[in-house]
Amino acid sequence: MTATRVDPELLSELKEYGDGQVETCFNCGNCTAICPFTSAEYPFPRNMIRLVQIGGAEKLKQSIDPWLCYYCGDCSQTCPRGAEPGEVMMSLRRWLTAQYDFTGLAKKFYTSKVWEIGAMVVVGVLVVVIALLLSGPVVTDQVELNTFAPVEIVHVADWIMAGMLVFFIAINVFRMWKYIMVDGMDRKVPFSLYITEAWQIVLHLFTQKRWAQCEEDKEKKNWNWIAHLLMVSGYGLMLVIIIFFLKWFQTDEIYPVWHPQRWLGYYATIVLIFGAGRSIIGRIKKNVQMHRFSHASDWIFPVLLLLVALTGIMMHTTRYLGLPLVTYYTYIIHLAFVAPMLILEVPFGKWAHLYYRPLAIYFEQVRAKAKAMPVAETQLASAD
Amino acid sequence: MSEKPKIAVYTCYCGGNISHTVKCEQVAKLLAEQPDVVVSRTNMSLCSDAGQSQIEEDIRELGVNRVVIGACAPSLHEQTFRKTVIRAGLNPYLYHHIGLREQDSWVHTCDADGATCKAVRLMAAGVAKARLLDPLEPIQLEAEKRALVIGGGVAGLRAALDIADQGLKVVLVEKTPFLGGRMAQLDTVFPTGEEAHILLADLIDKVVNHDKITIFTQTEVTKVSGYVGNYGIQLTQHSRGVSAENAKALQDACQQMVADEFNYGLTERKVIYQPYHGCYPPLPAVDWEHYNGEPININGKSEILKDEIQQFELSAGAVVVATGFDPYVPREGEYGYSELPQVVTLPQLIRHMALNPGAKSLEWQGHKVRDIVLIHCVGSREIEGIDEPQEDGQVNNYCSRVCCTATLHMIEELRENFPKLNIYDLYQDIRTYGRGHEDYYINALDNGTRFVRYHGEEKPKVFAAPKGDTHPVLVHVTDALTYNQELEIPVDLVVLATGMQPRQIDDLVKMLKVSRGNDRFLLEVHPKLRPVETAVNGVILAGTAQGPMNIQESISAASAAAAKVISLLGSGQVELQPFVAAVDPEKCNGTGACVEACEYEDAIALETFVEDGKEVTRAVVTPANCTGCGACVAVCPNRAIDVQGWTLAQYEAMVDAIAMDIVDLVEAG
Ligand SMILES: Cc1cc2nc3c(=O)[nH]c(=O)nc-3n(C[C@H](O)[C@H](O)[C@H](O)COP(=O)(O)OP(=O)(O)OC[C@H]3O[C@@H](n4cnc5c(N)ncnc54)[C@H](O)[C@@H]3O)c2cc1C
Ligand code: SF4
Ligand code: SF4
Ligand code: SF4
Repeated sequence: MTATRVDPELLSELKEYGDGQVETCFNCGNCTAICPFTSAEYPFPRNMIRLVQIGGAEKLKQSIDPWLCYYCGDCSQTCPRGAEPGEVMMSLRRWLTAQYDFTGLAKKFYTSKVWEIGAMVVVGVLVVVIALLLSGPVVTDQVELNTFAPVEIVHVADWIMAGMLVFFIAINVFRMWKYIMVDGMDRKVPFSLYITEAWQIVLHLFTQKRWAQCEEDKEKKNWNWIAHLLMVSGYGLMLVIIIFFLKWFQTDEIYPVWHPQRWLGYYATIVLIFGAGRSIIGRIKKNVQMHRFSHASDWIFPVLLLLVALTGIMMHTTRYLGLPLVTYYTYIIHLAFVAPMLILEVPFGKWAHLYYRPLAIYFEQVRAKAKAMPVAETQLASAD
Repeated sequence: MSEKPKIAVYTCYCGGNISHTVKCEQVAKLLAEQPDVVVSRTNMSLCSDAGQSQIEEDIRELGVNRVVIGACAPSLHEQTFRKTVIRAGLNPYLYHHIGLREQDSWVHTCDADGATCKAVRLMAAGVAKARLLDPLEPIQLEAEKRALVIGGGVAGLRAALDIADQGLKVVLVEKTPFLGGRMAQLDTVFPTGEEAHILLADLIDKVVNHDKITIFTQTEVTKVSGYVGNYGIQLTQHSRGVSAENAKALQDACQQMVADEFNYGLTERKVIYQPYHGCYPPLPAVDWEHYNGEPININGKSEILKDEIQQFELSAGAVVVATGFDPYVPREGEYGYSELPQVVTLPQLIRHMALNPGAKSLEWQGHKVRDIVLIHCVGSREIEGIDEPQEDGQVNNYCSRVCCTATLHMIEELRENFPKLNIYDLYQDIRTYGRGHEDYYINALDNGTRFVRYHGEEKPKVFAAPKGDTHPVLVHVTDALTYNQELEIPVDLVVLATGMQPRQIDDLVKMLKVSRGNDRFLLEVHPKLRPVETAVNGVILAGTAQGPMNIQESISAASAAAAKVISLLGSGQVELQPFVAAVDPEKCNGTGACVEACEYEDAIALETFVEDGKEVTRAVVTPANCTGCGACVAVCPNRAIDVQGWTLAQYEAMVDAIAMDIVDLVEAG
């Protein structure tokens, strides 16, 4: 076994990603004892905190543990040293997002507000300029959004955007996979396991069911889990509509209220406002464990969501009121919020946990299965 | 023996400790039938008030004149019952104690009948002895109201001051030319952060100005005779070598340099030296051990310094041993010590910091220290079979107790002075046991010290880094906190938190006949009940000579030692147990076999008297020097000598009783 060289710098590096007090931890292990998600295989959060203390960046990169934490905050409440282990796990998720990201943008965003907000503004402005350049004739006697902003063009732009997203995410996910499943494993994982376990991703993406194990939340009848699940459904729906069903969604025709085009839109909007609002209020009140510390990225994400929803509502209202010009401009503003949110937040920002977490759970399952197999079999598999 | 013996026998249950195994009632019944026994009782716990009253009542009401008690070990309650007997007006030595619990019930728990038989035999032997007991008186000795304190460290200073404050005279003897001991080598001290020098100067000032205290520096005890209350002491003193007039000139002119042990060899000093500014006595001294004898030129005159050794005799009633400790010196190569220049001991680092006050950065041999490792328990808590034994073949398996807090205290100093330093603390356990000590640990955590926990079986390894590494030294350690992963710590300086060892005082130990523990520190009589006395009457321990202590504990121990000395000598009289040899003048014809057999100095001697106009030679015992070992009794051809309270006749009676057939015992009743 080769020795792990300690790196005293990692601790201060991690400080930029959140508010944990790693240095004060005296490794008593109370946090791990109380954590509802920890296991013998993944005895977090103490093991992660220890790795930060000694600067074991390589080992951290190979860790799944931070993704298995849902920030219920039980550990932070239990820690006798005020080390805020839950917050350390949150910081580690941000740090990992930055490690997986090959562009270095995630790191920039997490460690500098100026960079994150600046990038949002740049993308927003760019979208406004492009939209104005490509916009069609301005019809003022009635609202003709599809004349001003032809849905075909917008859809193409959507697809370009989606392409970029897939590109970034694919590479980052590949890097995540390599750290966890190749560097972090002492054996090769047979390919078949990836296939047979794939349903895990879907399950966890759509149910977020682990969240429901959290003790604090159980006391509140799993209200946090339900809220989180609603929010996931809201922005999932929004993403699907924008990318696949824009033509059906962005029409000048006004459907009756019972039409799915309308109530699906309403549902997504309400859920987003509710989710983002709850998060913002929580962060102001700091009344739940997970909301006591707020990193800049924690503010930017819900605020952006809220702005997207609000501009959407405004556009919807002005269109029904028959105010063409206001509708067109609100639309452009709406785009100027949607685009940075999708282009920047999804691959490089807080949204990334949307896919990293289910993937991590999936990897965990694959790992467990691989480890349970006799060594010879995994070697055979790797020999193929 | 005039009066007829009337013996009372008590068999104690000891709250069940004895009675769960031994059938006490049966024992009492059988004993009641022994000749001369007037009463035989059992009791749930004889040492209770009720139990003691019963004994007193029996003595008064029944005219009992011998008492035999079977109970716990005599070391626990013999004295208690002696006092009971005195209260009832009986001579305290007309009572005999048998340790039924330790000698019988506790060791034969599985054999109740056997234990009961044994109890009967032991008690019958006690009765047989009691029948022959004579009243005795404790030995009263005139005591010299002067104490000798050996060692001028903080413990010796405190003990001297406390004794002198009670009006007794004190002679304080210090081997080196200066007072203060190890504490003088410290900078600021835990747990208060005060400066050691200031605390020490205050104490030294009081000692020096006390009219009851005489101080001898550069002096050692070279002979000890006598006994408690009257020790004869020989002191041997080296001369200072300089006088107030020529000291400065001589020191300036002196060229010979030697390693300065005050700074643990980090610096050099002249052979005419003063360890630090403001030390006491203020006059420099010549280091005779290292002085090469070459002439020193002052004012065109060359002078060869001469050590004029003087000897003094004095008597002292008691001796306080406060010879202190030596820091453990790692073996060559132990954690890279003395092989790598970047490996130092904690005492060395303390001196280094003290020598460079206000330094902007920590420098070691001209290099800036960016990363530092401190390793706990070096030379302490060693494990047999894993660590190399010390010279005496033993490992230092004890905890030195001060090094944990001293290390954390050092970390605090380092952090305050050098905020950017990366500090690693390699420990087994953090033993910050004292009031306020834990704060150092908490502060060290808060200020970003990285703690790594190693197990004693797997010591950290220190070695030179390969060429091209960012740091000169690598430390490898298996970290229990990181799931026993091996960590590599690149560092610029390694600090070994060395523990305490007793000083080399073999001569003194021999002269005073005190004993040492397995750890080579001086041993007390009982760690709990008599923690500062030694088995030698009148020799008392103070401070780290007895074992690792911090300053506070050294001072407490010194004050306790002083209290013992004061209670021993305060009255001007000392009282000893009368169990010493006594010669029967009728039978002694001066063969002198006893004198040859005696191991103890001045305990027995042949003296010639003129009696009825005839010259007779007889053995004479000096009770104060006699330990009552009985070696003389065994060799006397005339049975002319006996140990009082344990005479041959008594032994014979006891042996007869023990050897008696148990059936006889039963039938005898
Ligand atoms: C690294 C380190 C750091 C420490 N830091 C602290 C601290 O911050 N706070 C704290 O409370 N404690 C501290 N301690 C403990 C403290 O040093 C001791 O408790 C204290 O010095 C013990 O005093 P002493 O008088 O028993 O022994 P010593 O100081 O050793 O004094 C013994 C004296 O006896 C003399 N002597 C020896 N043999 C003879 C002889 N045969 N004849 C005549 N004289 C003799 C010696 O020359 C010496 O002057 C520290 C110890 C170490 C090792
Ligand atoms: S926040 Fe909750 S889930 Fe996360 S490590 Fe702490 S106790 Fe476990
Ligand atoms: S409970 Fe706190 S101090 Fe204990 S191991 Fe966890 S983080 Fe560290
Ligand atoms: S005090 Fe601490 S460093 Fe010293 S021997 Fe004991 S445990 Fe080790």
